[in-house]
Amino acid sequence: MNQVWLALIAVMPIAIGAAFASIAMRYVSTSAIDGMTRQPEIAPQLFTAMLIGMALIEALCIYTLVVTLVISQKI
Amino acid sequence: MTEFGPSSVIVIVNSLAVAVIVVLVGVFFARGELSVDAPSRRQNIGEFILQFFVSKARDIAHGPQRTKILQIVTPFLATLFLFIIVSNLFAMLPLPIVNRPPTSHFSVTLALALCAVLGTLAVSAAVKGVGATLKHLVWPNPLQWVSEITDVLSLSLRLFGNIAGEYMTVALVLLVVPFGIPLILHALGLIPAFVQALVFTLLTTSFLANAVHHEEKKAKKAQASADPVEDGNLVSEGGLTS
Repeated sequence: MNQVWLALIAVMPIAIGAAFASIAMRYVSTSAIDGMTRQPEIAPQLFTAMLIGMALIEALCIYTLVVTLVISQKI
Repeated sequence: MTEFGPSSVIVIVNSLAVAVIVVLVGVFFARGELSVDAPSRRQNIGEFILQFFVSKARDIAHGPQRTKILQIVTPFLATLFLFIIVSNLFAMLPLPIVNRPPTSHFSVTLALALCAVLGTLAVSAAVKGVGATLKHLVWPNPLQWVSEITDVLSLSLRLFGNIAGEYMTVALVLLVVPFGIPLILHALGLIPAFVQALVFTLLTTSFLANAVHHEEKKAKKAQASADPVEDGNLVSEGGLTS
């Protein structure tokens, strides 16, 4: 039983991190698509900026993944 | 860090060596017979990829040393992109030995990120001088060198997490459903394989833009009307194709 609780605690960071990162990515993608539909001629620049912004958000999610992997090794 | 699957060092070195060989042979094959009048299909593809990085490097290169920055930065970015995308696509291969992508091992991505950040510092030293580069690390904020370390960490952990997570997902699904479903996961894995290579290159481009940024204001003041910078085409100057 103790192992089960430890495993549940170990996967908590990636669950919370992925949930909040997906909310943040929603804002980025809706704003970028809004801008692209208003001004299709600058769509490539907006796409590049959206990719960089999403990568910066995704980095935080990846940190939690790495922390989860490190914790799950200890169990 | 985080060993899983067939993760001995020999597997990593094998796939790493194969990735290097694939990139080298592919680039030499794409060089082929170059012609201006009737470019072949291979040459068109190669010029399409090169043109993307030339335009990215043109966005950050200003000032009197524009041509020098272009000639340093463009091959650097293109090499990073080609190597990372070939490495990422290794998970799709149905071969037993090189099945694991090299970028799903943390030491490989750490080496790539160190190359990117140290290369940024080297470009900054080549453009602005060694003293200005070292001064930029501790001035105006004395802790500015910490940002270089976090750049290395964020670049390497992002690439490692994406590719290793994809690989681990496929490996776990393979234990349960050996047929059918892994094909869909592989098809979805094509997207992060391309996007992460692009993101790594674009973030390196933004670091490089920061590295060569301060120089242009001084240069504009110094030689505002001395010699107008020629708006040279890099390919026609023979910088890369020679």
